[in-house]
Amino acid sequence: MIKYTKDTNNIVTLTLDMGDRNINIINHEKAKAFEAVLDHLKAQKAKRQLKGIIITSAKKNFLEGGDLDYLNQVNDPKKIYDLAQNLKTLYRDLEQPGVPIVAAINGKALGSGFELALACHHRIVIDNQKIRLGHPEVKLGMMPNVGGTIRLMWLLGIEKAFKILTSGQSYPPRGALELGMVDALAKDEKDMIDQAKKWLVKNQGQHRPWDDPKRGKIVGGTARKPDVARRIQILSAKLIRETNNNYPAPLAILNTLVEGSLVDFDTASRIESRYFAKLVCGTVSENMTKAFWYDYNKIKSGLSRPRGFGRFRPRRVGIVGAGKMGSGIAFSCLLRGIEVVLKDISKSVAARGREFVEKRLEDIVQEGKILPAEKIALLEKMTTTDKSSEFETCDLVIEAVFENKNLKAKVLREAEVHMDEYAFYASNTLSIPITKLADSAVRPANFIGLHFFAPADKVHLVEIVKGAATSDETVARAFDFVRAIRKTPIIVKDYWGFYAARVQNTYILEGITMLNEGYSPALIENLGKQAGMTRSALAMADEVSLEIVVKYEEQAAELYGSKYVQHPAVSVCRTMIDELKRLGRRQGKGFYEYQENEDPYIWPELTSHFPSSKTSYDRKKLIERLLFAQVIEAVWCLQEKVIGTIAEANLGSILGWGFPAFKGGALQYIDDYGLEKFVDRCQVFEKRYGQRFSVPPLLKRKLKSDQKKMVDIDL
Amino acid sequence: MNQAYIFDAIRTPRGKGRQGGALYECKPIDLVKSLLDALVIRNNLPTEEVEDLILGCVTPVEDQGANLAKAALLYAGWADQVAGFQLNRFCASGLEAINLAAGKIRSGWEDLIVAGGVESMSRVPMESDRGALLFDPAVISKVGYIPQGISADLIATRESFSREDLDFYALQSQTRAAFAWDNKYFRKSIIPILDQNGLLILDKDEHLRPGTTLEKLATLSPVFKAVGETGFDFLALETYPEIEKVQHLHTAGNSSGIVDGAALTLIGSAKKGKALDLKPRAIIRAAAVSGSEPTIMLQGPIPAVNKALKIAGMKASDIELWEMNEAFAAPVLKLQKEFNIDQDILNVNGGAIALGHPLGATGAMLLGTLLDEMERRNLTVGLVTLCVGGGMGVATIIERTDQF
Repeated sequence: MIKYTKDTNNIVTLTLDMGDRNINIINHEKAKAFEAVLDHLKAQKAKRQLKGIIITSAKKNFLEGGDLDYLNQVNDPKKIYDLAQNLKTLYRDLEQPGVPIVAAINGKALGSGFELALACHHRIVIDNQKIRLGHPEVKLGMMPNVGGTIRLMWLLGIEKAFKILTSGQSYPPRGALELGMVDALAKDEKDMIDQAKKWLVKNQGQHRPWDDPKRGKIVGGTARKPDVARRIQILSAKLIRETNNNYPAPLAILNTLVEGSLVDFDTASRIESRYFAKLVCGTVSENMTKAFWYDYNKIKSGLSRPRGFGRFRPRRVGIVGAGKMGSGIAFSCLLRGIEVVLKDISKSVAARGREFVEKRLEDIVQEGKILPAEKIALLEKMTTTDKSSEFETCDLVIEAVFENKNLKAKVLREAEVHMDEYAFYASNTLSIPITKLADSAVRPANFIGLHFFAPADKVHLVEIVKGAATSDETVARAFDFVRAIRKTPIIVKDYWGFYAARVQNTYILEGITMLNEGYSPALIENLGKQAGMTRSALAMADEVSLEIVVKYEEQAAELYGSKYVQHPAVSVCRTMIDELKRLGRRQGKGFYEYQENEDPYIWPELTSHFPSSKTSYDRKKLIERLLFAQVIEAVWCLQEKVIGTIAEANLGSILGWGFPAFKGGALQYIDDYGLEKFVDRCQVFEKRYGQRFSVPPLLKRKLKSDQKKMVDIDL
Repeated sequence: MNQAYIFDAIRTPRGKGRQGGALYECKPIDLVKSLLDALVIRNNLPTEEVEDLILGCVTPVEDQGANLAKAALLYAGWADQVAGFQLNRFCASGLEAINLAAGKIRSGWEDLIVAGGVESMSRVPMESDRGALLFDPAVISKVGYIPQGISADLIATRESFSREDLDFYALQSQTRAAFAWDNKYFRKSIIPILDQNGLLILDKDEHLRPGTTLEKLATLSPVFKAVGETGFDFLALETYPEIEKVQHLHTAGNSSGIVDGAALTLIGSAKKGKALDLKPRAIIRAAAVSGSEPTIMLQGPIPAVNKALKIAGMKASDIELWEMNEAFAAPVLKLQKEFNIDQDILNVNGGAIALGHPLGATGAMLLGTLLDEMERRNLTVGLVTLCVGGGMGVATIIERTDQF
């Protein structure tokens, strides 16, 4: 519903109150509500009884786009194209009657919702840090489709529009003002409406720049302008560096901007619709929507959280260890207003954690996400100490000390003494079984694993590891805690390597195997990136350290006994560790050479120990090997119930170790590839490279069933 | 002697050459790519067998700049070894590309070439490349170069063509083009333009005005009067003092339309044609270019046709079907008069007045139209000619064959 009110100055306020949910959504169905209003406005205009229009919202948000279910099911580009064109006509009708319109933004305005604001002559937003504005479409492999690309370009120029649209970022009001996405900030609702009315009275006879053929110019110029053309060249190259040509959406955005700058507004809008339809009907947007929308929402809604326990709201968190990991966790907690007690062996060591947090908070002040005053207030919520007794009032304590069982047991005992019975304790181990560590716990039911990934202030994934004695309630509370710091929890079994590290290791091992087969290290590293992995295999091996890489394999060998077949990479690791004494990044030497003040480079002598004997290579096949190894392992994890759901396996793979997002995650990869084709390919690889590529029984079963998709597996 | 065979000749539909025209949103490279894709499919063509792409383009700047031929080959995913370049012989460019290809084939140095042209006049307006001939006062005053429309008016004046003569010719172009479309005469050679999703953008020539009448045409005002009176008319009289004044008779209705489009032909040797199982449709019997007095400019086809006929060892009466580009009505009527061509064998499916004249592509489009019509009428010998800036003319004689 759209509420229509008119004041004595002939200024109409349209208040969006659409649908029964507590937020306003715009999509091709809901947009129909505009049609009658537009007709009425035109009539009013004709009678000279309309001076200006204010669009605002009765809900807590302004307006958000929301057609994902529809877009996801429709695969006909004609339908998608028409849908975009129809919505465009509505927005166009709105901005064209010749009376000025102000968007009075009282809450979130995202996607097509922000596009509506862009279709207004002036944008005022309430200065509330919780409000977000912008275009997150690119994160789902899509782009704006109601002229947002073109309007933003006209208003801000090609390059700025490109940055905003491809960042996928949702900007707070001040950030948006700084970028020029909005025109003014208001103190509150009343101030916003007052400002809007004032602006409307002062700015009669407004034309959008694109409707003003004489004076209207794209800010900064079109793609024809020599300096703009040069920048576009550079942006095209940068784009390849960032996407390896795996993500079509940012390129579609750049193409739309460039091509759109050379033609009139309506033609440009049509170009936008065509690129949009192409993206929507492509597999990348399908995969990314699956992971970042459907899978993410399933996880968020508590798909794997034990039921029957009320929501836990952490107020105070203790952290042991002020290293990078501990400080990163502290920052993540603080950012959400949770009090933090950061402990280390001495006050001065603990204070280093504080410095880190302060620096990171300053970063986000700079990004306009919090105010300087808020930074000070947040820092006041942080205590640094060398005493475990400070944990007394903590709801939970997270241990993030060096990976050593005895040390971990010691800090656990120290902390537990001071914790009350209801508080729980989480170890951030990456390779020591939680059940074993729980031996040292007084309250093993309240003991759990919380596996953060480095850098903890940035990586969104946290593995929740349930030990044999861990209670369901503790799991539920750990889940709520991870959600409270806005990270994504996945629940994993206390089994070797848990989920992420175990699957990640297969990527590393496959890369190392290729080295042993005579492929050049540069090739392995580049193809890893081109496959879409965020990091290359050998670099990742160094990061993890070769000893840990081997350790996971030893754990597997121990568990699987006679069934275990040694991975061909293990012997390479042993040579590296035992003979060449190159253990990885921490020691400053691994597959790479690490010198201070210099970018790491591949150890020049590496090829004398592992000669690059291959003179040719099959790029596609090597890329597939690197990915298949991980996908197969992820299936094993599902089968062994190391991970409970496909949603968690997919999102975990992307957020945890950088599996290609454009494939939708490690299990979605199979559907993207086609189950039958995937199984066939595994068999080819198994014959050629060994048992590690054998088809897991779960996939064979799936192949025999009617449903040929991973997404349908009944767990 | 090696013969140059025509295996295929295709074109895009012609879109109105302005904002709002259907092809305005299409980049010239996409027009060329659409045709390259179609050539591969229609001829089952292994692209690595093609040696060169010669592309006519009259305004090779912006979207059309920096050797669009090679860019389009790479963009369309053709084999790396195919070379490409762009040429500009003004309105002859599309046909010149074909003639040059034929020459290369006949030399024996190359065996398979794609030749044609492209022009997006909506995106890259005429004369946006400037140039000495049109914009350098030192050159203009020395060579007596005047805008082509005034040259066309000058021909009409000297030949005593009346406005009715020109309008009648224009109406005939419209009627014939509409008839040809209605009877699907162009169907064989038109490649519809689709967007990246496969959605149709244009599959029909867009410039036609099938409903037009002599009365309507008579209402249109002369286009070149104002600019002529600024001084160009006097420049014309410098060269032609025997006429009293230039009669401005050409209008938007009896001049060619500004449109977007592209055309390509596949030309090669018998040896390559046999090896790739390509079907020969015609050989290029003769190709000629010529220059003539530049002020009147548009009579260049006369020496070019004479030269081509001489090369082919033919007389004008041997030509069974003629295509002369309808840049303006007068030059066509002049050619008809000069060679005494029966109107029933000249521009029989209409021409650029109805369909439009995408500068760099037109020559190649006309060759395709001629060949299709010769096949339909089962004729053997046909000729294409175009008037060209600077007083040049181009002509090509083709002879149908269905075997090597």
